This record gives sequence, structure tokens and C-alpha cells, in this order.
Amino acid sequence: MLLIRAIVRPEKKDELLQELTAAGFPAATVVDVVGRGKQKGIRMGNLVYDEIPKTLVLVVIHDEEKSAIIDVILKTARTGESGMFGDGKIFVSPIEEVYTISRGGRGL
Amino acid sequence: MKEIMAVVRMNRTGATKKALIEAGVAGFTAVKVLGRGRPVEDLAVIQERKERLLEMAMDDVIDPEETEQQVTSFLDGTRLFPRRLFTILAHDEDVPRIVEAITGANRTENRVGDGAIFILPVIDAVRVRTGESGEAAIW
Repeated sequence: MLLIRAIVRPEKKDELLQELTAAGFPAATVVDVVGRGKQKGIRMGNLVYDEIPKTLVLVVIHDEEKSAIIDVILKTARTGESGMFGDGKIFVSPIEEVYTISRGGRGL
Repeated sequence: MKEIMAVVRMNRTGATKKALIEAGVAGFTAVKVLGRGRPVEDLAVIQERKERLLEMAMDDVIDPEETEQQVTSFLDGTRLFPRRLFTILAHDEDVPRIVEAITGANRTENRVGDGAIFILPVIDAVRVRTGESGEAAIW
């Protein structure tokens, strides 16, 4: 199983969750975060904003669903056709075990 | 070395912390998150709670259908609810004990919405104070 961590623009959150549900990924954990990318934040004259608000979406999936969910995120979270700086990142990590508490057993 | 990520109910945070201490784990990081799980497929699971909520809500409503819709969406897992995300770093052999402690502290009679536990491999950890790394950095 895999953990998908997607950092996206906060204004894209609702649309992304909707699209994920439609694509068969209803479960998600959502956190408000701040961060910056390799552009070192946003520079406006002398002002530097390096804590830009983003939304972190965590989804746990089966290995074979990886490309499907990444397609959905790329399509929904990108600004315009070609994308813009600040659209975010997707990180994928392995998960060894999953337990669902209400069922008291292993598995998603 | 493993990272344990546990999403639990807000009002079980205290019980989870206590259970962790009893399991011999003192250190953790916790954040407030919003989350939802798999939608409820078998509506019989939420029937009882739905009736109870409807009874409370139906006193002076104008549109019973909309109220029922809202109450259902409150229970069937389509909304995001506040949850607490615990991140715990643990030695391999402690993982089953910790999972059991978290499960025990968080199971309810509701059959849905109790949260989930994920276990990820960790390649290395470093304690900032001493600079020691690996297993020694955990506790």
C-alpha cells in the first residue's frame, strides 16, 4: 500500500476532494500547512513571503491505484493548461501495514 | 524503525495519550486535521443514530426532506470531520503493542469513523540535542 501526500493550493481543495471521490478515492485526511518551494517563496520588491498557505491531502491507496490517483491530482490541482509555480507537489511513500480501528482488523 | 500515523477522534485524544503512556511510549507529534474514510455502504449501520438525530431535529423544521438529507450526510461519511493525527516513531518490535493500545483506546460502538492506523518504514532518525542517529534517536 502507498501513502500519497499531495500539497495543493487551498482553493483547489474542494474540487480535488470531489474529483477524488468521483474517481473512487473517497477517504482522505486534510491539513492546512504553510511552505515554500524552490522559488524560495514569493518576492514582491523588498517583501518576501516564504510561508505560503497550502493544503496537504493524505490518501492511502493500493499499489495498483497509484497512476490513477496521480492523474486525478495532476489534472485537478494544476492551474490552467501548462501549470504555474505554486501548484504543489505529490509525494508517494510505502506503507507496510494498515489497521481500520472500527473493524478492529488489518486492511483499508 | 517505523513511523506510526494514527487518525483518531478528537475526543479520544486524551484516552490515546494515556494508552500510549501505558504502552511505554511517551513521545509523539499530533496535529489537528480534517478527514473522512470510506463511505458507509450498509446504511443499517447508521440507522439507529440517524433516527435519534432526526428525532432531535424534527421539532420545528420547514423542510423535512432537506433535514433528513443533512442528517444522513452527517453520518454516512461524505463530510470531512475534525480528527487528531498522531505521528509516533517506534522500534520495530514495539509496533504491535502500540497498534493494540491505539485500537483499544479508540474503538466505539458506532462501527464507523473510529479512524485508521498506518505504518511506514523510516530509514533514519537523528536526535538534534546529541546528534545520535538510528535506533538510539528514538527513545
